[in-house]
Amino acid sequence: MNPIDPRLQAALDGERDPAELPADLREAYALLISAAELLEATPPPRVSVANRVMTEIRQIPVHVPPHGSVRRVIRWFGRPRAVTLRLRPVWTLALAASLAAMLLLPWQQGSVRNPGDTEGIANFVGHFPGARSVEVVGSFNNWTRGLLHLSDDDHDGIWHGAAVLPAGAHEYMFVVDGERWVPDPLAGRYVDDGFGAGQENSLLFVRPAAQP
Amino acid sequence: MVNDDADVVARVLAGDGEAFGILIRRYEPGLLRFATRMLGNPDAAADAVAESLVRAYRHLAQCRDASRLRSWLYRITGNRCRSHLARRHTTDIPLSEAPAPALAEASDTWEVLERSEQVALVERALAALPAEKREAFVLKHVEGMSYEEMAAVTGARIPTLKMRVHRAREALLEALEEVVR
Repeated sequence: MNPIDPRLQAALDGERDPAELPADLREAYALLISAAELLEATPPPRVSVANRVMTEIRQIPVHVPPHGSVRRVIRWFGRPRAVTLRLRPVWTLALAASLAAMLLLPWQQGSVRNPGDTEGIANFVGHFPGARSVEVVGSFNNWTRGLLHLSDDDHDGIWHGAAVLPAGAHEYMFVVDGERWVPDPLAGRYVDDGFGAGQENSLLFVRPAAQP
Repeated sequence: MVNDDADVVARVLAGDGEAFGILIRRYEPGLLRFATRMLGNPDAAADAVAESLVRAYRHLAQCRDASRLRSWLYRITGNRCRSHLARRHTTDIPLSEAPAPALAEASDTWEVLERSEQVALVERALAALPAEKREAFVLKHVEGMSYEEMAAVTGARIPTLKMRVHRAREALLEALEEVVR
């Protein structure tokens, strides 16, 4: 196989005007371009792929994320707001005592509900300094964004959160600032995402909470 | 078009499965052309594209950037084609081994060959390429992708893709010039 003149490669890559090529290279250029144009003309398939695909996907259960109004309510409760309380000094003292008592109780698993026998608690931690938001999507939430947000209350760049998940293996990714999908560098195990580009999902194993 | 893809993806993810038909109509011709050139067989290509589209629907929430849906669909289809080539049944006859079409006299030029003869010639030359070079040539010159988009589709680095395209051009040009000269 003879190497092609670099000027012809450059013209075919759109980096050079083909009109500037010598006559023999212009001929080779025209031959390759016309070959590509011929390949564009594909005979239509005998069976419509569209009908076949639509028939198949109509049998797949639809996953519908929470309705927009529900999400708005959740966001309303989640958004920071200024709250002003006017209390008599005696009530202020009582409130302070209650808060102190709560703080002295053993720390529980935040807002995560108690797992059932076949469930466990998955803790997610990631170091994303400067990130505005970090969330977790995975096989457990059908890769749906907006369902599992991590938090960084002290703004040290360490984002964390927890969720009750069914026991077993789950694939997941972090979504940083709503657009950057990154695997968990601390996951330890990874699996190919199945789309053939060598990208990997993080893998976690959730142990049943009932198991000692 | 790019924003339209994102809108349609959002509709599908919100539960409007029928909206996926818009994406099928939009990308089916290109995906079928790509798969046909990769597999050398329109029926096998239709199977690969149908399987890829169903897989895309199932995993649509995993499409990390809906504005790059085209690249994502080509990636899934390319992967499916590679799997098909790897397990291709032994009774299949690759195009490169199929009987050669009756060619015109060697003194004929490219221009005087009948169009069907031209197509058969190019298809045979393309089918004789290794799958990676064939894929690179088709994505670049038939699907008209940039090297950046090809990288997103194949997962290969841009210098690697350029090398594959260059080698594919050399092999095709040599095969075609043998006939037309």
